[in-house]
Amino acid sequence: MSKIIGAVEIGTSCAKALVGEVTEGKSLNIVGKSVRKNEGMRKGEIVDFRKVASSVHAALEEAEKMSGTTVDSVYLAQTGAHIKGSFLRGSANVASPDGRVSVDDLQTAANEAKRKQPASGRSYVHHVRMPIQLDGRSVEDPVGMIGKKVELIYWSIEGDESAIRMNLDLAHNYGLEVADLILSSIASSTMVAGPDLRRAGVLVIDLGAGVTDLALYRNGNVAYTGVIPVGGDHLTGDLSMGLRVLEPYAEELKIEYGKSQSDPSDADQQLWIIGNKTIGDRKVPRKTMTDIIHVRIVELFEIISKELGDLLDTSELGAGVLLTGGASRLPGIEQLASKVLGVPVTKASFPSGLGNELAQPENSTVLGLLHYGLEDHGLPGEQHKPASSGFIKKLGGLIGI
Amino acid sequence: MNTNQETFFETTDDSSLNNNSFGIRAKVIGVGGAGISLVDGLRFDNFDFVDNLIIDVDMKAVADSLASHKLTFGRRHTRGMGTGGDVNLGKRLAEEEKDKIRKELEGVDLIFLLAGLGGGVGGGAAPVVARLAREHGALVFAFTPLPFSWEKARHAQAEECLSELRKHANAVIPLPNDSLLQMGGEDSTALECFAEAGRNVSRGIAAICNIVFKKGMIDVDFSYLRKVFSGRGGRTLFGYGKGSGPEGLREALRDLLVCPMLHMPDVSKAADVLLIFVQGGTSLSMSGLQAVSKEIRDSFKAGEDVVFGAHVDENLGEEVKITILGVTSLDPLVPTADVAPVAQQVLELGKQPKQSHRSKLEITGTKTEKTSSIATRKKRGKKGDNKEQNTFFFMEEENQRGIFDDLPSRNMYEGEDLDVPSYLRRGVKIVI
Ligand SMILES: Nc1ncnc2c1ncn2[C@@H]1O[C@H](COP(=O)(O)OP(=O)(O)OP(=O)(O)O)[C@@H](O)[C@H]1O
Ligand SMILES: Nc1nc2c(ncn2[C@@H]2O[C@H](COP(=O)(O)OP(=O)(O)O)[C@@H](O)[C@H]2O)c(=O)[nH]1
Ligand SMILES: [Mg+2]
Ligand SMILES: [Mg+2]
Repeated sequence: MSKIIGAVEIGTSCAKALVGEVTEGKSLNIVGKSVRKNEGMRKGEIVDFRKVASSVHAALEEAEKMSGTTVDSVYLAQTGAHIKGSFLRGSANVASPDGRVSVDDLQTAANEAKRKQPASGRSYVHHVRMPIQLDGRSVEDPVGMIGKKVELIYWSIEGDESAIRMNLDLAHNYGLEVADLILSSIASSTMVAGPDLRRAGVLVIDLGAGVTDLALYRNGNVAYTGVIPVGGDHLTGDLSMGLRVLEPYAEELKIEYGKSQSDPSDADQQLWIIGNKTIGDRKVPRKTMTDIIHVRIVELFEIISKELGDLLDTSELGAGVLLTGGASRLPGIEQLASKVLGVPVTKASFPSGLGNELAQPENSTVLGLLHYGLEDHGLPGEQHKPASSGFIKKLGGLIGI
Repeated sequence: MNTNQETFFETTDDSSLNNNSFGIRAKVIGVGGAGISLVDGLRFDNFDFVDNLIIDVDMKAVADSLASHKLTFGRRHTRGMGTGGDVNLGKRLAEEEKDKIRKELEGVDLIFLLAGLGGGVGGGAAPVVARLAREHGALVFAFTPLPFSWEKARHAQAEECLSELRKHANAVIPLPNDSLLQMGGEDSTALECFAEAGRNVSRGIAAICNIVFKKGMIDVDFSYLRKVFSGRGGRTLFGYGKGSGPEGLREALRDLLVCPMLHMPDVSKAADVLLIFVQGGTSLSMSGLQAVSKEIRDSFKAGEDVVFGAHVDENLGEEVKITILGVTSLDPLVPTADVAPVAQQVLELGKQPKQSHRSKLEITGTKTEKTSSIATRKKRGKKGDNKEQNTFFFMEEENQRGIFDDLPSRNMYEGEDLDVPSYLRRGVKIVI
């Protein structure tokens, strides 16, 4: 028996859709893929619903066509500067007289943890569960074990309700159910940082067009997630203003000649802004272009460093920092990032066997959605929910049922 | 502090007055330290009918100025010293001296208000002066230096003063020090940056005064200027360009479209009201002007409300200069109810402008043509496909706003707007 499942990242630059086929509940095959330019978003947030809808729908349609099937439900990525994360805790005394932990005890603890509702106008996006604590010890599955008290801790991510609503509506309007809403940074990390790296401690930075998504793992668990509303579009905007060229030209210049740090060879190099030397074309110094990019990148990593504060501790980051997302293609960005953060930084790679076309930094999020979505994140004893029912629960949470 | 100020005010043209604007009184008013130094930097050689006045609480600053008219106030509170950057004090003191200030505004039709909005007097008193001027029915153009981003507290304060000032002035041209620093040479200093502010102020005032007061190839009268600029609160744009040689006019246009002032954060990319002033040697031709005017109007999406002026200045030889000043109206052309009777009279007078630019320069923007030109531009400007090879299309539909220009809220982080280029906020010098 195989199952068809979709993943959608509505990224600031492109809407990306994947169709995956899961056989025997474990092996995942990607059978459809599409990327469509998205012009209705800024910094990870929708500013023009119709434009976004048309690119999302076009991407889904194409991906379905390519796969030769249709999807009923999708995993959907969520990001945006409005997203905030914090730890929620709940505990329960073991109820049974024989002192053995039951599934109900876990449920009680979970309910207590999630009892706290976000402020009005805000909704939960995602609860990421930490290992269960039984009398202060981390255990994988305490059910049936003897103990007094179970504790559950979640890294809970909440965001602006209307922004989340709009994101969901984009899928609904195409007749799709949302199997789960997954934080972009967690999706990307799932893809580029495997369990070993997460155990060693790793910070994954997804540099997108509109936002930079952060996820920090310690001892295998999420310790922090964050969204910084600065991305590749800022580089393009800075270049457009600084070099006084149209945005499309600035974007092309960035992709073709952009780098993070100027070197002596830049000294008297001049770049044509359009490239074909026709009327209106003019030259700009390469060094100027690099300088504009350099200050923005330095500033971005300084902000990341400030946001993380003490969490940016080399001794807790055995696997260092991994960069992914389209903007991480910028040559030299890892060296500059390392200089600013004071931690080893590398560009992330993908698990082997993905195929060249998919194993690209801008695909981390959408690929990660499928992988994360298919993993079992439920409580022990809880049935791993098939795609659709998970969403109903989520929706309930959103509208406060 | 008069560093190589350009001599925009010197037209060697006979200084005969534009008859249509006879009797109109203009005044340059500098408020606070920055305002005073800007007034001192201006040259009034050929504009002896433009008065000047400086206003400050700082006795010493006022005493050192070369301005012909001076007003000090708030003496009892500050003992003749400055406000120490206290906007509220600046504002309160100005309010207390309303009557004194009013007296200086009497009978003045056109006011150029110069004030550094990061200062206590500049930021606090200038909006009061603008309000009083408005109550007197004057048309107010303000040119306002804004503090560097790194002057954090002042920066935030200046933003507030700016929006306060916009409520009262008809056009406020911000002159952000960050951006001005970019325009000087490789290692320009804050002083050079103030000089650049001065050059911009001088260009702006000269363009308006030339059109209104001097006789040239194409002028408009004051009542028309007042009519089109009667809105308030809009965002503005201001830019200039220079060219020379046989293709001087086109070169000036090209230069204008890449003018750094037009490519700063927060500058409007479209203008509901647009003033265009062209100054050149004898080679200026009507047909050339007509074409350039059309391209400028199209580039900035200007509608009918265009003030166009063109003056020949034989001294310029083959050189051509263009200056533009535009406003995006929030509430286009609804004459505000609180305009004093004086203004009303002038408006009445201006109902049949003897010579508006429309009659002199056949503007080709008839309704149908306009629509079709927008339609074709839209097609061309579509992101990605077949880009025009021409910087003239810098202002294409999709590109008329900076990437983040259309967002309602700012991207604030520790007092800085992250959507503003880092190199501007960090004062990193960009050479192009
Ligand atoms: N070679 C390159 N050098 C620099 N930047 C690049 C390069 N290639 C792509 N980019 C940038 O990567 C960004 C797109 O990345 P990605 O697809 O990960 O973002 P997104 O998912 O659309 O946006 P977000 O996640 O922020 O909502 C664009 O800003 C693009 O300019
Ligand atoms: N452009 C320009 N800006 C100035 C000048 N002097 C001061 N400033 C800026 O104006 C602000 C200080 O205002 P100032 O006029 O000295 O204070 P005030 O007298 O209390 O209004 C600071 O943000 C300075 O950066 C000047 O001569 N030219
Ligand atoms: Mg992304
Ligand atoms: Mg002062």
